[in-house]
Amino acid sequence: MTGVPARTAPTGAGARDAIRREGPHVKQFCEQCLDAAVAAGASYADVRVTDTLTQALSVRNGVVEGVSSGSSFGFGVRVVADGAWGFAASSEVTGESAARIARQAVAIARASATVGARPIVLSPLRAHTDTWTGPCAVDPFSVSTDDKLRVLFDADEAMRAQEGIALTTGSMSFLRERKTFASSEGSFLEQEWVESSAGIACYAIGDGDVVTRSYPNSHGGACYQGGWETITALDLPGNAPRIAEQAVQLLAAPLCPESTTSLILDGSQLALQVHESVGHPTELDRVLGDEAAFAGTSWVVPGDLDTLRYGSPSVTITADATVAGSLGSFGYDDEGVPAKREYLVRDGILTGFLSSRESAAEIGRESSGAMRADGWARTPLVRMTTVSLEPGSAGTLDELIADTGEGVYMETNESWSIDDKRLNFQFGCEIGWEIKGGKRARILRNPVYTGITPEFWGGCDAICSRSEWQVWGLDNCGKGEPMQVAHVAHGAAPARFRDVRIGVGR
Amino acid sequence: MIDTTRARALAAEAVAFAEEAGAEQSEALVAATNGALTRFAGNRIHQNMQSEDAEISVRAVIGTRIGVASTNRVDPAGLEACARAAAEAARLAPEDPSFPGLPAASPIEHADRVAAATLAFDAEARAIAVGSLIAATAGAGGVAAGGVARDHTVTAVANSLGVGVGMARTSVRATVLATGAAGGTGWASFTGLDASGLDAAAMGAFAAETARLSADPIELDAGSYTVVLAPEAVADIAQFLAWYGCSAKSVEEGRSFMSGKLGQRVTSPLITLVDDALRSSAIGLTFDYEGQPKTRVALIDAGVASTPVTDSYWAARTGTPNTGHALPAPNAMGPLPLDVAIEPGDATRESLIASVKRGVYVTRFHYVNIEDPTRVTLTGMTRNGTFLIENGQLTSPVKDLRFTQPALEALDTTLGVSAQRQLVGDEGAALVPYLLLERFTFTGRTT
Repeated sequence: MTGVPARTAPTGAGARDAIRREGPHVKQFCEQCLDAAVAAGASYADVRVTDTLTQALSVRNGVVEGVSSGSSFGFGVRVVADGAWGFAASSEVTGESAARIARQAVAIARASATVGARPIVLSPLRAHTDTWTGPCAVDPFSVSTDDKLRVLFDADEAMRAQEGIALTTGSMSFLRERKTFASSEGSFLEQEWVESSAGIACYAIGDGDVVTRSYPNSHGGACYQGGWETITALDLPGNAPRIAEQAVQLLAAPLCPESTTSLILDGSQLALQVHESVGHPTELDRVLGDEAAFAGTSWVVPGDLDTLRYGSPSVTITADATVAGSLGSFGYDDEGVPAKREYLVRDGILTGFLSSRESAAEIGRESSGAMRADGWARTPLVRMTTVSLEPGSAGTLDELIADTGEGVYMETNESWSIDDKRLNFQFGCEIGWEIKGGKRARILRNPVYTGITPEFWGGCDAICSRSEWQVWGLDNCGKGEPMQVAHVAHGAAPARFRDVRIGVGR
Repeated sequence: MIDTTRARALAAEAVAFAEEAGAEQSEALVAATNGALTRFAGNRIHQNMQSEDAEISVRAVIGTRIGVASTNRVDPAGLEACARAAAEAARLAPEDPSFPGLPAASPIEHADRVAAATLAFDAEARAIAVGSLIAATAGAGGVAAGGVARDHTVTAVANSLGVGVGMARTSVRATVLATGAAGGTGWASFTGLDASGLDAAAMGAFAAETARLSADPIELDAGSYTVVLAPEAVADIAQFLAWYGCSAKSVEEGRSFMSGKLGQRVTSPLITLVDDALRSSAIGLTFDYEGQPKTRVALIDAGVASTPVTDSYWAARTGTPNTGHALPAPNAMGPLPLDVAIEPGDATRESLIASVKRGVYVTRFHYVNIEDPTRVTLTGMTRNGTFLIENGQLTSPVKDLRFTQPALEALDTTLGVSAQRQLVGDEGAALVPYLLLERFTFTGRTT
């Protein structure tokens, strides 16, 4: 045990004496915020009240490293006043703070208006009154800590049974969020969902080398909107021996050689490839320059819609906030726009953007429903939902490898980097295999590939069929200042890319 | 916004509640924040926010069982519930025979890190600063983007062994990315605790001039080049080295470049990498999240892998002094250096450039990530002001390049270090100079 303790949230800490989340109290509170904002001069106002409960457990080398939970409750008011945006937020959720924070948001908006203000136009939206609840069969907060740790201990023990494994880790995390949204246009929306995630990893350490294998994905594992049932379905203990054996094999494997070849990516790595080289560059706020100074801009411009060849005709990519069980799903976004499914790229041609009401209006469209905020203290930004590479017809992974002849297959992300226009990227994977004669041959260590976005997607000539397609949750998407972390997802099946440069810098 | 006295009182109250709930030892961490940020793009303010929050975290110890609970409800009922939950978690937690106990009180060096000008740096004042950041670029027909952030934080730690510390801090960070009418880009940033030190007009003018000079870049082939790295680029390297390699935990687990190499040369002797929260330019806490005094640590001392940082647990486990680098519990990362600096040399930016016959000048990197932790192999892109150096002068702007480079190997070719240093970043900001490196590998470019 490493001295990192158990951590739990106080019972009932998510509630407040002054304002209860449920029922008429929270509605009355929202109305107080909106009334105060309008009285102070706001031409538009919305308020979000968010109540979040989290729990995380981790083990390391056979001992508990931490069992933690926390809670956060607060509200944020966003307004337009004098033709500019203002946002203020507080964890003090009282009638007094409702008026104070609303007035503060208006004052901030008026300060915004002093520099280059231009009229803010929001794409049209019908007011909605609704509730939405995400899927959850078994509430993970009702499952005992012992039961959760048992799964992690069993997997950890199975990994450490492999000779040559120096370090093992396993983790789970759970989240329940309850969010109320109200706007001066008349919307009142209540949403609640549960997220569950889990993963294991093992390290083999040799003379100056460290290699990692993880399951079901790196960077914390798999993430779902759902309950404990999503964790048990992963069978962490059952997969532990395989990755431990591969880690030891990796340590003795040759480095991935530098060459230009046919590359097959597994679904999890492809999910991140979609994220970085399609998801972010089709965020309309980036396209319009709003994130230029931090995350960057985009290689595409609004005029590229319906004309730009983004990839080969095999490539169709959707943005879908209605996928059941996906981290990228909701009933309504944080502007109150109903969840949608739209095409970003269809048959290789750019056809859409992820957008907000403001950014969509700038190009004469309606919002794609992609405004999402990281908790009550942040203003919403254009974020991904479930941005997916639609499946093809190349059959199974084995069939795709057999069809490839010579090349390399890479699996599970290790590192990622992409430029500020989302053009020049370089990814490292945990493990690679040479493909020789249509079969997997020797394992390759530290496989890395690099490319330019449209050239890479233009080289996509085969995508596995729907039987190989699955949604990969990603709970660490950073964007904006102050940094906001979004929970998004990507559906993908293994796919093949021609003429890719691999083994860079080795 | 609660003040330091109130934060210390809240922490002490929480410790008392934890003892009432049955904790044999207990610790409370209070973190109150009031943060504001004005963002601009396209020569207008497009996001502008302020938020306030206060969170308390209680660590309860029963035997060697440990539990932590946290909440952002800091009224008496919230504190008591939080303390009870921590004690309950401790009762349910497994024993940890290696737990050395909470640390006792040690004297803390007090530093005044609150500036009145920063407290008064409200939305109107930030808007005026934004106007100054934009002016030069807009006047030249370009567009500017960036942000002006102001933070006020109060942190307090108390424990049942007598620790009782608190500190307020302010910080300001401003950035400007200028895009000139001809498409070139330039960058400037400021980090400090005092808003009166922000010269927004000068920053805006520097970024605009860099943008002008960056127009019509040439393409440069991939390969190994001599480079002059500006502080923004150096900060990325320093922080990856420190955060991935200079924690006692990563060293002990064999995941660090220091593992098995303590006392051995790992870079040029011109490189001394330290963590020093006590220096006058630092903006961080002078104590760690266990309330222990932060000490100055030479991580790499004149090129030699020297000392990883510790907290109370890793100090006990490795039999070394507690350097005061604990993160908030529960902490799976281990101790971390958050106030890193590279010691200055005697060169100037101009003399470093003048000494290069043919090379590349890098203003900053973008999206740097680590591909190999033991070699600290980094990859990333150049951004916002990359120039060819020929015969000691910046001659042509260069299209952005991708680098893939083991950091230690690059630093082993250090030929010069500037006396001038800049504080780069926000939380965890690094104080770093310009560096002249003989060999740095670019592996691709964006055409």
